[in-house]
Amino acid sequence: MNLKQSVIVALILTVIAIAAWELYWRSQELHPTLNDEKALWALARKQVETASKSDVVILGSSRAYFDIQVETWEEATGSQPIQLASTGSSPLPTFHDIVHNTNFSGTVVIGVTPGLFFSTTYPGAFPWKRAQSKVDYYQDQTYAQKLNFQLSIPLQKNLVFMSGDEEEWSDDIDLKSLLRRIHVGHRTEDPGMPPFYNFGDVSIPRNMSMMPRTVTDTAFANTIIKVWHFFGKSAPPPDKTSTMDYFLKDLEAFKARQGTVILVRCPSSGGVRMGEHMGVPRDGFWNDLVKEAQVKSYHFEDYDQFKHLTCPEESHLSLDDANYFTSELIKIMKADNALTNI
Amino acid sequence: MLFNSLSFILFLVIVLILYYAKWFSWTGKKRMLLLSSYVFYGIWNPPLVILLWISTMVDWTAGQRLAKEDNPHKRKFWLLLSMFVNLGFLGFFKYGDFLLENFVMIMNAIGIDFQAQPMDIILPMGISFYTFQTMSYTIDMYKRKIEPARTFLDFALYVTFFPQLVAGPIVRAKELISQFYEEKKATANQFIWGLFLLTIGLFQKIVLADTLLADTSDTVFGSDKLLHGVDAWIGTIAFSGQIFFDFAGYSTCAIGIALMLGIILPDNFKYPYASLGFSDLWKRWHISLSTWLRDYLYIPLGGNRHGITRLYVALMVTMLLGGLWHGAAWTFMVWGGLHGTYLILERLQRRFLPFEITKWNGLFLAFTTFSCVNITWVFFRARTFETAWNMIKSMFYFQTEGVKILDTFTIIKVSVIIAAMFLCHWFMRNTSMKEVSLKTSPYVLGVIWAVMTVLIVVAQGSGEQFIYFQF
Repeated sequence: MNLKQSVIVALILTVIAIAAWELYWRSQELHPTLNDEKALWALARKQVETASKSDVVILGSSRAYFDIQVETWEEATGSQPIQLASTGSSPLPTFHDIVHNTNFSGTVVIGVTPGLFFSTTYPGAFPWKRAQSKVDYYQDQTYAQKLNFQLSIPLQKNLVFMSGDEEEWSDDIDLKSLLRRIHVGHRTEDPGMPPFYNFGDVSIPRNMSMMPRTVTDTAFANTIIKVWHFFGKSAPPPDKTSTMDYFLKDLEAFKARQGTVILVRCPSSGGVRMGEHMGVPRDGFWNDLVKEAQVKSYHFEDYDQFKHLTCPEESHLSLDDANYFTSELIKIMKADNALTNI
Repeated sequence: MLFNSLSFILFLVIVLILYYAKWFSWTGKKRMLLLSSYVFYGIWNPPLVILLWISTMVDWTAGQRLAKEDNPHKRKFWLLLSMFVNLGFLGFFKYGDFLLENFVMIMNAIGIDFQAQPMDIILPMGISFYTFQTMSYTIDMYKRKIEPARTFLDFALYVTFFPQLVAGPIVRAKELISQFYEEKKATANQFIWGLFLLTIGLFQKIVLADTLLADTSDTVFGSDKLLHGVDAWIGTIAFSGQIFFDFAGYSTCAIGIALMLGIILPDNFKYPYASLGFSDLWKRWHISLSTWLRDYLYIPLGGNRHGITRLYVALMVTMLLGGLWHGAAWTFMVWGGLHGTYLILERLQRRFLPFEITKWNGLFLAFTTFSCVNITWVFFRARTFETAWNMIKSMFYFQTEGVKILDTFTIIKVSVIIAAMFLCHWFMRNTSMKEVSLKTSPYVLGVIWAVMTVLIVVAQGSGEQFIYFQF
């Protein structure tokens, strides 16, 4: 047995095959990007432990994640906010974690996406479990996991094929995702979710920006819209009472230690906005929340600067609009003395 | 630290550089290996290294005393001390909540209103493996079967050797400690073969277990519906493949990594899914555990030396405790009980209905054994009896009215993989990878190696923990 020959053959073929794999996907116009994973969230969450009174933490769902741009915020205020908003998640478990597991008493900006904020407090429900899993991951993270993440960053930043995102996007190119694209017949009655493609790029510090393709390619944007409509139709009715109670209790505790909370309603448009008007109307939800919370609050509909903003896929702003939204929002907040700590 | 992680690749490269550099003497290299093993374990949860230290200290002391002591009472004391500490750790960390839960249940059943908060004890990774390994040393010392370890360093390294620390193989002292006495260095062929084994192990874990099979078994066993028979069977065979590739993958990695250091670890799996009956199965599946249970439980219980009834009792008790070793739940006991029953039935068949195994009925027998093993996996994988019972109902009543949750492609994918695995086990049952590789062209072997490596890279994996870490 000549194992030396075998290892040389294996090495050469492996290098050639992986290089070809990488080049193929680059030729398909894919680009290297970080995965929006729990370890990245945990990296941002860790900053809260040492954050001061003058720091700002952003919580919320994907709208607060896409629409509030970290670098623009830093340019306008001189300090970088800690971005902890998460896609498809209720902000309540994260706010609860900050109130009960840290001494942070600075400013928390909470993006209110009504369909998620008022969704549920049931631990097994998707929007709750998603956020709680990040909190749990942070609490239980091992040194090995931290090291793995640090080692994976340069690979993720430079290699397209490192795309095994926790989100399991339909256009991921790891083996499991590629196999998921194969469909034979229609055995199950479950119609299944429409294909859900990645439409945002995340970077360090944790910041999400919409991919340009979502703005320029209407057909692509429409695939995302189909997913929002699918979620809208399949979502259970909101649970306003328990979500409000849960939030207000934590808010009271946070206020008691001199913490500041600001509520922000980011833009939506088209069918998604119509659905929100019907399912979680402003009058019955946002307005009640603001009334009960007694904190500074900003709804995009109330400001002329934001009325012209349109979301390419009906729920999030393009990068340019997100930068504009962030800088204008800060101006409004400053004028309103909402950011006094900064 | 997981073998299927970037941090392990970095760790292994550093260990290999330090091991093969000429900076250290053999003692220095062993110290480095010991320290690396503590880092390997402690990077998961540093305080739990203390348990390893206690286990090491207790069994080292017991071993030294047993080597010198002739007084039978004192010898028994040292043996019992070792068993008390090791089984005490197991009992507290692994079975604490289970015992409490059952105590509460019994109290309530006899009319005493008693409630207790679960203790939520963290389960130290691999505790079942290293406690069994250290206990085997003390028991063998007690029985005067082995010589004591020459130095504390050799013994500590035996307990902690990182390739097999958290999920075996459970190595006996005579197989491993003596290898630490003389300087070890892998030959070029050993090193490359070790690397090849590491690749195969990672391929089994990342590609076959985690990427191709895990989702199907998770979907089926996670469902709260009464499933269609096809879905129940596919979910079960998917788990059957997943647990084999996961565990055999770990063992293959461990053997390969040790070989890269010039240390030889015993085989832990020998194509078990082509076993001809259940005695054969337990000579091929998790060999290091089954021989441990044979030597330290089945034989002391009487084995086959005290008549047929005692033999059956010993078999059943061994398998029930073997089941409980895997997890603190009654479902694991049922799994062990089923294996015990199969073993007893097999002995009865040999006694009353003996037949000769030929090439043709052999394949049928192997398939029958594999099918019966699959039934036991239902209890092993299901978290509750309700889930297990629903699965069994679906599998045997063939619920055509049951819910279909798997798509056609998944059914095809799992069926092809499991059929290929079964046939591979059948054709390999009387040979070994080493023998086959000797007959294979080095170029073909290189191509196979490259295909596995590329698939590992494409699959990436999400650093899923090995199933057996929780045992």
